[in-house]
Amino acid sequence: MMDELELLKKDWQKKDEHLPKLSFNEIHKMLWKKSSSIVKWIFTISILEFTVPHLLYLLPGMQDSIDIYDKLGIKNISTCLWVVGYAVTFYFIFLFYKRYREISTLDNAKNLMEKIIRTRKTVKYYIIFGLTFLFITCVMIIVGIYLNDHILEVFPTENPDVSEEKFKQIMLWAISIFSVLFIAFMGGIYFLLYGILLRKLNKNYKELKQLEV
Amino acid sequence: MTKELEHQFVTELENNQNIVHKVCTLYTNDRDSHNDLFQEITIQLWKAYPKFRGESKFSTWMYRVALNTAITLYRKSKRRVKTQDYDSVIFKIKADEYDPTEEEQLKLMYQAVKQLGDIEKALVFLYLEDKDYREISETLGITEVNARVKMNRVKKKLRTILNP
Repeated sequence: MMDELELLKKDWQKKDEHLPKLSFNEIHKMLWKKSSSIVKWIFTISILEFTVPHLLYLLPGMQDSIDIYDKLGIKNISTCLWVVGYAVTFYFIFLFYKRYREISTLDNAKNLMEKIIRTRKTVKYYIIFGLTFLFITCVMIIVGIYLNDHILEVFPTENPDVSEEKFKQIMLWAISIFSVLFIAFMGGIYFLLYGILLRKLNKNYKELKQLEV
Repeated sequence: MTKELEHQFVTELENNQNIVHKVCTLYTNDRDSHNDLFQEITIQLWKAYPKFRGESKFSTWMYRVALNTAITLYRKSKRRVKTQDYDSVIFKIKADEYDPTEEEQLKLMYQAVKQLGDIEKALVFLYLEDKDYREISETLGITEVNARVKMNRVKKKLRTILNP
């Protein structure tokens, strides 16, 4: 084997003349092309993950849900929760940006992979936080409905025959099932997305890491 | 100033482009992917260039950025049809040195190397480029001892691929 690798080495070093040759202009043109590196992908997806849920609150229909919080008597506690939520979100954005800036191709392979994984973990924790936050909000709404004795005033229904008790039960079930499905769906998409995106990186990182044992 | 930097960078890359082409040859299987990876490495080199500032040789710095891009940053943008004759173009043996046994042996070796994992390819690449274990370990971020251990395993693996 030694001899064969040596033979390969000798041949390899004579390869230059068979390699493609790009001109100055061809290389120059490449400088302004868009990168499609996974770091770029992580950055773009993360920015979407940070902004999209917050943009939802700008939708006109969302104003109604704030009214509903008020009627359910959970407005104060939900306001507190939102303040905390935004503070934590900004902290995550700051941490994400700081870690993202530390990623450098000048690092050695292992450090580079570690920094990318660390940056992604920041987003992962943010997602876990976001989903937990969503869960707490849903629980709060469910408790609010459960404790409310005039539920038909909060959610005016077009069907006047349905009894208050029955309507309350339907609402509780509907919201519970919807929130569990929604949280599971969002979590599923997130982990699938990053699973695919970082499969190669995780495999290579594990290989380097294994050497240390 | 930017124009000057651009000119300087492109000239240096033009002179040292073989390093990048060799990395692309190892990590891709067809001409389109080769060009794709070359472009991504060029973008990454250009992005890192302001930080380079001549502390090491341009080529030394290139090895690191090029391998990091190939191993970690590069994502294949599309699934591509593998072109059959691609390897034979890149790994052509010079006519005046034609030796059928040697050529066959080299062909098999190149095919075996292409079957290795990303990290293993990086080790073989640096070895073929005549880098010592210190430089290999610094590029990959492992200790010199581990680089040797890994290289021995790669040799063993190549042997298994060649003699199944």
